[in-house]
Amino acid sequence: MLTPQELLWLLAAVARGDQVAFARLYTATRAKLYGVVLRILRRTDLADEVMQDTYLRIWRSAATFDPRVATPITWMVAIARNRALDLVRKKSESSTDDNPDALEVPAEQPDPLARRQMTEELKRLLACLSDLEEDRRRMVLLAYYNGWSRDQLAAKFDRPVNTIKTWLRRSLAQLRECLGDGD
Amino acid sequence: MATDEDRDSLAAEYVLGTLDLETRADVEAQIATDPDLAQRVHRWERQLGELNGLVAPIEPPAATWDAIQARLAAGEASSEPRSGRSPTDRGAGIVDLTRQLNRWRSIARWGGALAAALIALAAARELRPDLLPQPLRPRTVIQVVEKPVEVPTPRPAEFVAVLQQAAASPGFLLTFDFDQRALIIRRLGAEPQTGKSYELWLVSDRLGAPRSLGVVGSDEFTIARPLQALEPAIINAATYAVSLEPSGGSPTGGPTGPILYSGRLVQATPGQGGRNP
Repeated sequence: MLTPQELLWLLAAVARGDQVAFARLYTATRAKLYGVVLRILRRTDLADEVMQDTYLRIWRSAATFDPRVATPITWMVAIARNRALDLVRKKSESSTDDNPDALEVPAEQPDPLARRQMTEELKRLLACLSDLEEDRRRMVLLAYYNGWSRDQLAAKFDRPVNTIKTWLRRSLAQLRECLGDGD
Repeated sequence: MATDEDRDSLAAEYVLGTLDLETRADVEAQIATDPDLAQRVHRWERQLGELNGLVAPIEPPAATWDAIQARLAAGEASSEPRSGRSPTDRGAGIVDLTRQLNRWRSIARWGGALAAALIALAAARELRPDLLPQPLRPRTVIQVVEKPVEVPTPRPAEFVAVLQQAAASPGFLLTFDFDQRALIIRRLGAEPQTGKSYELWLVSDRLGAPRSLGVVGSDEFTIARPLQALEPAIINAATYAVSLEPSGGSPTGGPTGPILYSGRLVQATPGQGGRNP
């Protein structure tokens, strides 16, 4: 992965229509974005579709990227996640054989080996998450990493959807409190 | 009236991803018109986005990039030349640009004014993967055909560069036809000079010395086909220059006379505001 500064530079070039920069940006970020969307979609064909949409969007919208609001990778991952979440919701709402249990993944923290590369902000977030009750922490991580909906979480934790909604709301408020306004 | 907490909760759940499709669409619509909600969403994206640092990278299949390129070329956003090479290869050109500019500046010292201003049209939908660049060879055979041609009609697969001394005095117009692997040089303001020849050079850090693309004919149009052995990444990122040489071209293989005109190929800004259906 390139540094945030290098990614900024590339995004600026992409905003000017620089196709070589776009190829380089893709090379630098594709594996991270693919990792993110594949966890949510769990199907390579869907992940491939989302990757295409995401990078086309990045190509078109690079000029609207605002470095005051996000780092390049945060911005790009947000685009990818939103596409993946929209697609996975569409799929689950249109299919009846959706079984949340089948989507279970073993670990909520996908890559513990990366710990030494953690940013201060990530360490702080993890510290705040560890203050949550275990079920609620798992719920937040399953939602973020695997794209689980309230309904899927309700099935997984065997609670009514309204309870899940309340848990989520309280957990997120607690996180907000712990993290502060940040940045 | 929603409280701040409601709004923040909505923003957080949107970013977390737990909302249903309809609510997600509602939030997205609101973000566009509600700066406060947008700011909350962005904060959560920053804060929760840290979790992505723990996601193990997974290489997507190579076909993904091909599909992105194909969709760009098909006009979904703008156009993109199909080089068929891996992005890594093509991307290497970016770093080279800086070095190449430095080199270019040093080359320019012996020459005339360097004024690079360019226009470029990029519409490469006809580019085909079977026109792959051959491996870069140590020596390139340059074949220059000098003949008058009809004024070329606009073709999709073209890149254009204007070589000029100043914005108001374009000397040559280069049209790159990647489809035909050809370079069409049109003489504009540059007057033929007796006993001298104009010679076109490609300057790329990846090639070392400036590469002659041939002597520009005295006719209005010259067609050169020197591009077969060059990678698109080099062609795209190179500086193009015209120097004034003894009649018939440089006797040394490198530029000896002053650089009169130069320019670089850049892509046109992609269609901003174009959106997916």
